[in-house]
Amino acid sequence: MTTNAATGPAKNREKSLSPWAIARRKFMKNKLAMISTAFLFIVIILSLLAPTLAPHLSPIPDVAKVNISKMNIAPNGDHLLGTDKSGRDVLTRLLYGGRISLLVGASATALVIFIGTLVGSIAGFFGGAVDSMLMRFTDFVLNFPFLVFVIVLNTILFGIVDGLWVLIGVIGFLSWGGVARIVRSKVLAEKENEYVLAAISIGCSPAKVIVKHLLPNVMSTIIVQATLLFASLIIAESGLSYLGFGVPQEIPSWGNMLAYANEPDVLQGKPWMWMPPALAITLTILSINFIGEGLKDALNPKSLR
Amino acid sequence: MTTKELTEQNSKKKERENLLEVKNLKTYYPIHGGFFKHVVGNVKAVDDVSFTIKKGETMGLVGESGCGKSTTGRTLLRLIKPTGGQIIFDGEDITNISGSRLRKARQDFQMVFQDPYASLNPMQMVGDIIAEPILNFERRNKKELEQYVKSLLTRVGLPESAYYKYAHEFSGGQRQRIGIARALALNPKLIIADEPVSALDVSVQSQVLNLLKDLQEEFDLTYLFIAHDLSVVKHMSDTIGVMYLGNLVEVASNKDLYSEPLHPYTQALISAIPEPDPKLRKERIVLQGDVPSPANPPTGCPFHTRCPMAQEICSQEKPPLKEVRPGHHVACVLY
Repeated sequence: MTTNAATGPAKNREKSLSPWAIARRKFMKNKLAMISTAFLFIVIILSLLAPTLAPHLSPIPDVAKVNISKMNIAPNGDHLLGTDKSGRDVLTRLLYGGRISLLVGASATALVIFIGTLVGSIAGFFGGAVDSMLMRFTDFVLNFPFLVFVIVLNTILFGIVDGLWVLIGVIGFLSWGGVARIVRSKVLAEKENEYVLAAISIGCSPAKVIVKHLLPNVMSTIIVQATLLFASLIIAESGLSYLGFGVPQEIPSWGNMLAYANEPDVLQGKPWMWMPPALAITLTILSINFIGEGLKDALNPKSLR
Repeated sequence: MTTKELTEQNSKKKERENLLEVKNLKTYYPIHGGFFKHVVGNVKAVDDVSFTIKKGETMGLVGESGCGKSTTGRTLLRLIKPTGGQIIFDGEDITNISGSRLRKARQDFQMVFQDPYASLNPMQMVGDIIAEPILNFERRNKKELEQYVKSLLTRVGLPESAYYKYAHEFSGGQRQRIGIARALALNPKLIIADEPVSALDVSVQSQVLNLLKDLQEEFDLTYLFIAHDLSVVKHMSDTIGVMYLGNLVEVASNKDLYSEPLHPYTQALISAIPEPDPKLRKERIVLQGDVPSPANPPTGCPFHTRCPMAQEICSQEKPPLKEVRPGHHVACVLY
């Protein structure tokens, strides 16, 4: 049963699975989640390679330049997905748009998770007055009318900071409340375990107890939250861009491309202009949600212990 | 037996000094209530407890659930802030130190926890769990540290290969051994064992207890051994303190306490120990009623509501813990 010293540590290391390795195996067995991961991976690769790919796929790989002679062309051999009302290639814009939509979604998610985890774990660990103060502040942020604030802040900050980062910052600073609450409640529950007391008794500083002991044990919740947030923040970006308050007009994003659909003429007669970004958004969100579900199953605390 | 006698002789030769002195320790948990969540009362988990532990000795602390044994242990290690009193450890007053000074002081007193399933971080490798206390205080060569941790693992009766495993791969008894190795890692002077075997099978209990005894001699440890099982405490301790409702009601040497319990509560406890010989059936003292709430303890002696020998004065005056015979302290008006 127990391997003796002769077999060496390397072999033992393989035999013992860390809780993370167990979760990874479980995730790999989930077909839907794996297909979704593959799809998301492809979308990310295509978006990242946009500058390299676009010249091969389209005669006009420029995303911004208006081309009066090539307006409203339906998909054909030259323009695989047609051109839009300003004569720009839809496929090129779709590839470049993916970069922006995914970038905004990922950066805003990172920001939200960072602030939410910081506030939530500190509030949960220290409790008492610190907890009350931080949570009242969280409630305050949660009660901001999101849309109004995004529009106002975007207008004020426009021109001072690069448009894209304004949007990421604004979305990030207004959306961390939910994560903070979830992390806090998880930390509160996890804190009751004796290993936290043990960590204090062996001389860990509060920061170390939070980072090394509490966070790894609430990480599963944070990861699942992050995936779901990623999806919803991509939608937030698209929604804002569609309304004209998101990514600046000159930068292509899936939401910006979708904005053409508010003209009845385009919506009814020129589906090649809005169908690709709509599909891209839908499928990406769907796959992210499947991945989130898969992670939730794989990281179920019962399977981790 | 002979080794025990030898150590007893040794201990008589050199007068042992106090390692831990506890004076009038109080730990209250505030009860918040009312509209503004202000403090409306206190749960007196530990109420005026005093005792001393000499170097190299084991003091047992017994009492029923909720009597404040664990809170006492945790307060002594400064895991809970004491409300009042004084804790003097190895000549230094640690009652009110905090921050990095407290963290530094923790090197010398460690704890073995009650629940081996909750006291080990499920995300850490066993090697890291045991190495962590050392890394909190000094930088060590990685190879050297690994060697040291492995030697600790072997010492507590686990294979070296345990180093690379995770806590979920071990049984309760093995996990408790990991917890003991973690407590030993810093080479502490005092280990507080908070019901270390109450979550284990009886067959495993004795193994862990014997391990603790062996380690005590080898590493020159002092124990505060908290338990609710009188036979376990008898096996382990030199002196025994009996707690009731946050108060220490009797402190005596192992032999005196079992042969001649003085406090009515101790007498009742000892009469409840099962006797293996059926012919030796003895009179059991059955206490009436329940333990009063520590949020609203009775006036006078905390035990007078259930005491078979209660007198009128018991409800008015709280008897202090006084030495009625050499080394035998009791808090009761009868003596």
